Amino acid sequence: MDQKTREDLLKLFQGKLNEAMTFYLETCTRCGVCIEACHVYASMGQVRYIAAYRQEIVRRIYKKYFKARGKMWPSVGEARELNEVALEELYEAAYSCTGCRRCMVYCPFGIDTQMIMSIAKLLLIGAHSEPEILTLLADTSIEKGRSLDLFKESFLAGIKKLEKEVVKKWKMEAGETAIPMDVEGADLLFVALAGAHSIIPTAAIFNAAGESWTLSFFEAVNFGAFAGDPARTQLILDRIVNEAKRLKVKEVCICECGTAFRVMKQLAGKQPFKVSSVTEVHARYIREGRIHLNRSTLNGVTTYHDPCQIARNGGVIDAPRYILKHLTNDFREMSPDPTYNWCCGGGGGLVALGEETLDFRMKSSKVKADQIKRTEATTVVTACENCHTQLCNLNEHYQMGVDVKFLSSMVADALVQN
Amino acid sequence: MNTLYYFVLIPMVYFSFAVFFVGTGIRLVKIFGKPKQPTSLQIYPEKRPKWLWALHDTFLFPSVRKHKPVLWSFLILFHACLLLLIVGHLELLSEFKIFQLIPHEVFLGKGFVGLILCFALLFFLFRRFLSPVRELSVPEDYYLLILLFLIVLFGSQMDWARRWYGYEELLVEDYRTYLLSLLTLKPELPYNVTNSGHSFMLVLHVFFANLFLIFFPFSQSMHSFLSLPMNKLRRG
Repeated sequence: MDQKTREDLLKLFQGKLNEAMTFYLETCTRCGVCIEACHVYASMGQVRYIAAYRQEIVRRIYKKYFKARGKMWPSVGEARELNEVALEELYEAAYSCTGCRRCMVYCPFGIDTQMIMSIAKLLLIGAHSEPEILTLLADTSIEKGRSLDLFKESFLAGIKKLEKEVVKKWKMEAGETAIPMDVEGADLLFVALAGAHSIIPTAAIFNAAGESWTLSFFEAVNFGAFAGDPARTQLILDRIVNEAKRLKVKEVCICECGTAFRVMKQLAGKQPFKVSSVTEVHARYIREGRIHLNRSTLNGVTTYHDPCQIARNGGVIDAPRYILKHLTNDFREMSPDPTYNWCCGGGGGLVALGEETLDFRMKSSKVKADQIKRTEATTVVTACENCHTQLCNLNEHYQMGVDVKFLSSMVADALVQN
Repeated sequence: MNTLYYFVLIPMVYFSFAVFFVGTGIRLVKIFGKPKQPTSLQIYPEKRPKWLWALHDTFLFPSVRKHKPVLWSFLILFHACLLLLIVGHLELLSEFKIFQLIPHEVFLGKGFVGLILCFALLFFLFRRFLSPVRELSVPEDYYLLILLFLIVLFGSQMDWARRWYGYEELLVEDYRTYLLSLLTLKPELPYNVTNSGHSFMLVLHVFFANLFLIFFPFSQSMHSFLSLPMNKLRRG
């Protein structure tokens, strides 16, 4: 690595050093309380997957270039030079971490490994060594935001085709639109994923509840956040924020996507609208008596997988349980405390990387598969696209014989038409 | 020899305290002067009042108690005894009524505070020899533990000598004269401090303590100041 590249990368590093990040880099005492926290270490037993070890990969570079000690006494903290080998280690640390923040619960100081890994991811982008597919997907999203007019017509036509499916789940009066779009003054903007399964069930539920809603032109998922690129993350987020402001909605409802929810809820800053997850909105409809569910659609034991970014990191914990109480009499918790739920093993962009990471995802999530098996459930419910894909992969790999379902589809299938 | 004693007991003490206070001060001002994290780093479910739970997490280490109960016992003992030692050293300077609410002899703890600390430090040190904590540890972690162990061992030895085997040459009054003279910037070394049989214990104790104070602002020991704000971030 030449001097110029290193300097550029260190500038990127410097830019990440705000107060919280400095706390996290200065404080670790390497006490080892986080050893059992990571699902990858729990499944594979290699030291490099312990949270504190991952952090040290970044921290050693910090000690070398951002502490006086790095020049006077580098060996005391095993300070390390930033070079090609270091970049490889950073890749290994960052892209084996799903950003679930389970270790943050264990740490006596509350060090956020995901945040430290964001330095690693940013350095990889700076060195053009990040997984290209993530940046490519992020750029596609950004481009879509820039040239909405180009694809608007074809998108509207595509949505029109889905309306029949929505009406099958919930009958509507003649003249009513099953999937309203671009409605100024609607109460709620629904941000879905690019996939019918993410739109149809929830559209039916909105219609059943008589919600004044409109579907966003943009998909919720933020590939910029997966790649750890703050600039791209913001651009992708802005598309939705601007649309919400243009339509003057009161609430932005994010579909079953953990990253999208966390980014919108916690990174968007103060906005003139409220941010909710679709799960919270569905629970609200049940509570207010706006929808009624048929309880007899499920057989056997049902369990719920809390998506990390929605539960531990987003605070939506009671809503899915409240909904499931209306869907089944035989609900069983996976973990006695949802804060300690194991990550599915697919977050942080790993599922988005597809086949490339499949082998690692299966090996690193053995504890998740075991946890599900222990519940003896026949149905595993979740509320995140990534988790759903990963749980389906696990189901196949570990031959668990369970049904993996989206909570929203289950609500839609159980709707009772008066 | 006397020059060496003099150097360790007077100029080096001033230098170490200067590095400790100025270094820690500057570092804290710099760290807290950095831009604040604009987004929430909270972990859910949340409990209120958040600041009270942050204090609870900072001083009672509930996550350690849950996952490593043995380590937790030693950690609590260690930190509590550290606090008692600070009180003990303040009492060497002068008598504080507030500390004497529970009447005790100076130095407090009948020698057991230092003994407990020695065992706790050995425990911390030896657990670092075991995998996987061994792979996580860096030299700094060992240096700090060894340094603290030496400080506590030589410091306690002076206390144990008076209490447990009747070696009464070096008295609280002698320490007090020496420490007060340092504090009032008129340093003097009473005859007993440098010439009793246990003077070398005092010199070694002060020497290692000086090293620790100098290293403190640049080491992970800064967690003593940063733990509370970090725990506050986690509680939201």
